[in-house]
Amino acid sequence: MSSILVVDDSKVMRDIVVACLRAISGTSFVHASTGLEAIERLSLAPFDLMVLDLNMPDVGGIEVLEFVRGQDRLRELPVLIVTTRGDEESRERVLRAGATAFLAKPFTPDAIIAQVRALLPQAVESRA
Amino acid sequence: MTGSTDLKEFLAAYLVEAEEHVSSANARLLALEAAERSGTHDPKALRDIFRSLHTLKGLSAMVGVEPIVGIAHRMEAFVRGFDRAGTAPSLQATDVLLKGLQAIAQRVAALARGEAAAPPPPELLAELDALDAKAGPLAERSGPDLDLEPELVAKLVPFEVEQLVRGIAGGQRGVLAEFVPSPARAAEGLSINTVRERLAAVAEIVRVLPRALPLSPESPGGLSFQLILLTQAADEQIAAAVGVPVASLRPIRSGAVADVPAGAFPDASVPFDDGDGADGFAAGVRRGIVRVDVNRLDEAMEGLATLIVTRFRLARAVADLAARGVNTRELADVVADNARQLRTLRAAIVRVRMVPVSDLLDRVPLLVRGLQRTTHRSVRVELEGGDAELDKSVSERLFPVIVHLVRNAVDHAIETPDERARRGKPEEGLLRISCRARSNTRLELTVSDDGRGIDSQAVARKAGRPVPDTAAGLLALLCIPGLSTRDVATTTSGRGMGMEIVKRIVVDELGGELELETHVGTGTRFTLRVPLTISIVDAFAFECAGQRFVVPVSTVDEIVEVDRSELVQVPAHHGGGPELDVILRRGQAVPVVKLASIFRLDAAASAAGKAIIVRRAGAPIAFAVDRMLGQQEVVIRPMNDTLVRAPGVSGATDLGDGRPTLVLDLVALGTTLNAGAPAPRVVA
Repeated sequence: MSSILVVDDSKVMRDIVVACLRAISGTSFVHASTGLEAIERLSLAPFDLMVLDLNMPDVGGIEVLEFVRGQDRLRELPVLIVTTRGDEESRERVLRAGATAFLAKPFTPDAIIAQVRALLPQAVESRA
Repeated sequence: MTGSTDLKEFLAAYLVEAEEHVSSANARLLALEAAERSGTHDPKALRDIFRSLHTLKGLSAMVGVEPIVGIAHRMEAFVRGFDRAGTAPSLQATDVLLKGLQAIAQRVAALARGEAAAPPPPELLAELDALDAKAGPLAERSGPDLDLEPELVAKLVPFEVEQLVRGIAGGQRGVLAEFVPSPARAAEGLSINTVRERLAAVAEIVRVLPRALPLSPESPGGLSFQLILLTQAADEQIAAAVGVPVASLRPIRSGAVADVPAGAFPDASVPFDDGDGADGFAAGVRRGIVRVDVNRLDEAMEGLATLIVTRFRLARAVADLAARGVNTRELADVVADNARQLRTLRAAIVRVRMVPVSDLLDRVPLLVRGLQRTTHRSVRVELEGGDAELDKSVSERLFPVIVHLVRNAVDHAIETPDERARRGKPEEGLLRISCRARSNTRLELTVSDDGRGIDSQAVARKAGRPVPDTAAGLLALLCIPGLSTRDVATTTSGRGMGMEIVKRIVVDELGGELELETHVGTGTRFTLRVPLTISIVDAFAFECAGQRFVVPVSTVDEIVEVDRSELVQVPAHHGGGPELDVILRRGQAVPVVKLASIFRLDAAASAAGKAIIVRRAGAPIAFAVDRMLGQQEVVIRPMNDTLVRAPGVSGATDLGDGRPTLVLDLVALGTTLNAGAPAPRVVA
């Protein structure tokens, strides 16, 4: 079972991400509505992947990413950044900050499924 | 592949969130403007606006609402420039931004109605594009002046430093607290989110910073959160909210700090974009709140309504058994328990449907702002919403009423600044809206202005009626459909527009009351009293001439025995009107109307042993009925069919016997009698 942390302050956005990724069997999801909550959850339980929004109140995605990469235990955690800013400059900045992959909004269900499959170590076959 | 996930499914939830972001951005834009007018700056508000626009853009793109993406994108790009510079947009730019938000709101509303979102108007896009994104010179900043570790200060953005310095100068205490999350604490419900919620009640949270710690039994997650706070509460309260000993708190002082380490003070021009989310906590979107489509609540309410009807049937069946001599004591206990549980459940659902009145009133400043510009009035708005709450469906119906009253006040009642100066009034007019819960069932809302008042002679002339000698009479004239001609409204009365709509909603639809107080030259006040909730109410059931009726408890002043010898007969007025008797209550003559004769039921079959007294605009009126059957909860089904709609009848209900029972609105019935309107005829 792969455990995925979905971080976005918009509940609609989190629900959309989870609805898309449910197609990958053997996954379970934990929601975090703030960057701080994400950091807290990551420190208290193991996750196989984090899907992270950049634009959030309190602690933004980049800050979460920087914190995560500064922690030995979390250095290898795959992080998929989901952002409205799809330009090349943003992509580079985000990857420099330690993101494993980058997905621009709006995305299709297939696009995010493909990304996540590639990031999950033992990606399980789709139900479909 | 799994293309089956249709993102359109998320449209309803999207609309709710979009609406919240639009109203949050509206409120913050106005706050920004107000701050700018008073010579201060509100960078937090600006950042929140940026964030709302950014989220709107992203969400709209996800669910495929392109017109909103286009508008939000342009607005976002413009606002970002100011956020970077730490300055605020000009007043003209604020106008365009408000227009943009309005255009978004219109599209959200259209989608909610099941219509398509119209493409953005080209003029609007052109206006947005034409905004000069150059935000002017960087705002000047004072150096940080805090006894905090430079590493911590370095992580604060300029406005957070400013917020701290200003807060401490203003008499608040700066406090640094540290929360260490752990699985044990999480099990007790103590997490960074709950700590923040608890702190929000006693302190202003300036910033929360995560800090990596070595793994140890004390920090099993290798993590702590440093909370930088401003507060007036005692250390004990803060410590309790965070769940730490008092001794672990540290004061943050602000004083003359000689040298600021190089680089400790971040450059104000650090771009705020996707990645830099340091914007404090007032994101405008409330936390710990589940958004629910109101239709789902209606479904729950509908389910409850059928349960209540089932309970009536049960109670009836038990009563039948008892009448046949069966021992029903245990059964009756169960039925009583069931009734109590249903009441609790009902109260819970009703509470979920309650929204703060302030949500409704918060939209007024924006409305007034727009009206001021088109009418060249200068108006100050005072809102006093308190913490009263009312049912969402009532709130939604009430909003157009408030819009009408506010529009009339600004458009017509409040004079132009010149005219006000000539009359010795302050140039700025005052519009005041206040509301409070009158009881557990009613909300009183007043909308008052210090404008020119209503000239009753002019209104009477216009209406072609005699000059009314009371405020109530004047209000009745104003509410005559069609009496909304602009010349009356603008030049003489100061009122008149849309009053029939106000009356229809407040009185006819919501079953509330509307009152007017006006003084020529000094101002006008409208008072609305509306029920906090509708649809399920506590009601008295009674019998009259063999027919059953119910009347909501909230409308009943008292129920009295009628001793025929106490009745004083007065001649009927208006020729064929119903007979009118009078009883004396506490020295006051109260007219008694025989309900049987109003409804043209067989009056001979009516014993008229009881009277239900209601108040209509403060004056009591008694309705004689045969006997009371008790008090119970009833589900009111509105009668929207115009063929069966009659004044004085607010709906129908089922008392458990499967027969429709009319729910009477005795207050409205009293009104039709006084107006000499034909009495409704009941066919039951």
